[in-house]
Amino acid sequence: MVERRLAWLAGIVFIWGAAIFFYLISLQVIHHREYSKLATAGQVLTVEIPAARGTIFDCNGRPLAMSVPTESVYINPLRTPDLGVASELLALVLHLDRAALYGKMKWAYDHHHGFLWVKRRIGSEEAQNLRNLRLEWIGIQNESQRHYPKGTLAAHVLGSVDFEEAGNAGIERALDAELRGKPGRTWMLTDVKRRGIDSQSASDARPGMPITLTLDERLQFVAEREIAAAVEAHQAKSGSVVVMNPYSGEILALASYPTYDPNLPPQPGEDKAIRQNHAISVPFEPGSVFKVITLSAALETTNLRPNSMINCGRGAITLFGRTVHEAHHGYGTIPMALVLAKSSNVGAIQIGMRVGQARMHQYVRKFGFGQKTGAPLPAESAGKVRKLANWSKVSLPSVSMGQEISVTTLQLAQAAAVIANGGLLVKPRLILKKGNQAAPVEQPVRVLKPETAITMRRMMEGVVLPGGTGTRARLQGYTSGGKTGSAQIYDPVARHFTHTYNGSFMGFAPLTNPAVVAVVTLNGTHGSAGFGGLAAAPVFRAVVTEALRVLDVPKDLPDEPPIRARAAATADADDLAIADIGSGQPNILEDADDEDQPAVAQAERPLDVPSQPEGLIAPNFRGMTMRAVLAEAAAKGLTVLPDGSGIARVQVPPPGSILHQGERIRVQFAR
Amino acid sequence: MATLPAFFRRISGTGLPACLDRPGNLSHIQPERDPFRLRALPQEDVFFHCKKIDNSRLVREADPQARGACWSAIGMACVLLAVLTSLLVPSVAGTLAGYKLEALRVRERQLLYDKRTLELQEAELLSPQRLEKLAQRQNLVAPLSGQVVRLDAKGDGAVAMVK
Repeated sequence: MVERRLAWLAGIVFIWGAAIFFYLISLQVIHHREYSKLATAGQVLTVEIPAARGTIFDCNGRPLAMSVPTESVYINPLRTPDLGVASELLALVLHLDRAALYGKMKWAYDHHHGFLWVKRRIGSEEAQNLRNLRLEWIGIQNESQRHYPKGTLAAHVLGSVDFEEAGNAGIERALDAELRGKPGRTWMLTDVKRRGIDSQSASDARPGMPITLTLDERLQFVAEREIAAAVEAHQAKSGSVVVMNPYSGEILALASYPTYDPNLPPQPGEDKAIRQNHAISVPFEPGSVFKVITLSAALETTNLRPNSMINCGRGAITLFGRTVHEAHHGYGTIPMALVLAKSSNVGAIQIGMRVGQARMHQYVRKFGFGQKTGAPLPAESAGKVRKLANWSKVSLPSVSMGQEISVTTLQLAQAAAVIANGGLLVKPRLILKKGNQAAPVEQPVRVLKPETAITMRRMMEGVVLPGGTGTRARLQGYTSGGKTGSAQIYDPVARHFTHTYNGSFMGFAPLTNPAVVAVVTLNGTHGSAGFGGLAAAPVFRAVVTEALRVLDVPKDLPDEPPIRARAAATADADDLAIADIGSGQPNILEDADDEDQPAVAQAERPLDVPSQPEGLIAPNFRGMTMRAVLAEAAAKGLTVLPDGSGIARVQVPPPGSILHQGERIRVQFAR
Repeated sequence: MATLPAFFRRISGTGLPACLDRPGNLSHIQPERDPFRLRALPQEDVFFHCKKIDNSRLVREADPQARGACWSAIGMACVLLAVLTSLLVPSVAGTLAGYKLEALRVRERQLLYDKRTLELQEAELLSPQRLEKLAQRQNLVAPLSGQVVRLDAKGDGAVAMVK
């Protein structure tokens, strides 16, 4: 009987065990997938890893634009337990207006929206405070925010991004595909408190490609500073500077004024011109700087040489019913080199007529005008060069003087590089590297013979030498060459030329082996003080001086006392390209000539152009005691670095040397 | 009363009723009784016997087999524990390591974020506009060409000397 009872007990236990076993089978095998899904849904979080947008560097590796990770807060209004409490809590932590937030949440809830941004791009402290609350209905998403740490520097080149970090201007837009990375995804296994236990990468995040530009931060800053000062000083509408390496085509600086801060979104009512890149997007009539092209074409295609005599008459020429005047007076018969140095309009027309329409058009196109340079910036203008078939009888004279054609500052820099590098058309480059790979370089195309380029360089030196129109562009310690331009702006409404100008200067330095090419343009200057030689040439000097220093280019001229701003402004004002193209319209210059004479006299000292300080000569301290040396140095405002004691034996720089601003004299004393 | 103690008393004594256990009784007449048999219940044929067991000679001794069995049980329990531990500990350790790993990953992300923020701050501090303002405040000017002399490093240990 006992055995029977034991048997019954064993049977019951066995059945109980079997039931448990079969239930386990049901859970772990039959319904495994279903329960596994439920568990995964509750335990596994999908975390999106944002990809950082590529950093943009200058040629020296200094960051110009970079992205920083940030976080944004969102909620699901449909799952929020209490909208009032939620709005109060979030407003407190995130420093928001509680009533406004509640209104947004209520609206989203009423319209069955399951997603609502509470605040974008919050600080790390706010994010941590929210995390510490451990509330399931608050979501924090990783995002990225673009910063431009240098403010307005190179704003037009860099461009900007919108709220979703998509480029909408400049390099940010042109190379958006490369800069924009690919976000990744990670599955994270979490516990009941949403703490991560394990994570597995579903797809790796690919950060954006870093881009290295050819810009030099220091040169860019100087270019922007100088053009801003010049535009303000001459009350111009806008201005631009391009500095380029003539051999490689690398753009070292590309400045446009007015400028903006890409860190700030566009303000309502903001002038659209602020965001225009005047160096590449706004073409203008170049005026007398274009005479370089005319003379280059003449050297290539005719038997004219720098010493060929050109009849510039008495200061006016009438062709096909149109009269063109010199800026002020006639030059008679002068060598071709002087036509350039003096910027004779009549001389340029005479030379252009010798070249002929077809060849002039050909060389204009060969120099890259009328077509885009290919710079990787959106909204580049090709300028305007009429097709040869559309040239009228006055087109050749006009084009010879740089009118009836529109160009951009960058195209002028490209053309100047042809002269500077020995006759090769080099495409301007803005991208140095993409990631670790150097950007491909296009093969240059020969435009001029090397001897033509060398001859042009010598002629262009005459522009900056005394007697030329660009003496204010002359550099200390370096040879240079260039061309001024002062194109009158035509008013299409009133149908006559105004007294506002596009003053420009195009040049390079040093002369024999140019290291840099620079073009400066000021648009909408006023009066004779706004001519290229007065307004743009000083900017060229300041920018190129800094460029040659930064590039460590050795001097090719001895130091001499700095040139004062002198009353030779009459020469600087002679590059005015003036034409009367309206048939039957009075020639405005005939009326304005008398007005201009006093204006020229008044242009002896341009508006607000700072004059260079006196050059100081190092005195002779040898044989003097330290006390005497220090007393004399203090009296002359010099800084002396004494070394040793006793009598002054050696000094560097030696006595009689010219002292540059801020230079100190080292004096060695011995007994 | 016909109780067991009464029966026991009878067993321990002559086994005769007290009324009969007197001198001059006629006990020599009755036959000898079984000393362990208890007085029979009236009109019952069931006879109870009791026996007094004297355990005073019993000695408690350890079961020689119990020790082995005990140790075997302990050993089995340890083995079972070890097996369970070896099965469960990696899982628990993995979970704990996972916590640490995730915390380190969060820390790494935070450090990378801090690094980017610092790089941004560094770039802002080194902006040319700011440096220009600082230079103006210190009455410093940009050097001119040729003023900056870069000394090339020489391997022969030569040093610059003022002669």
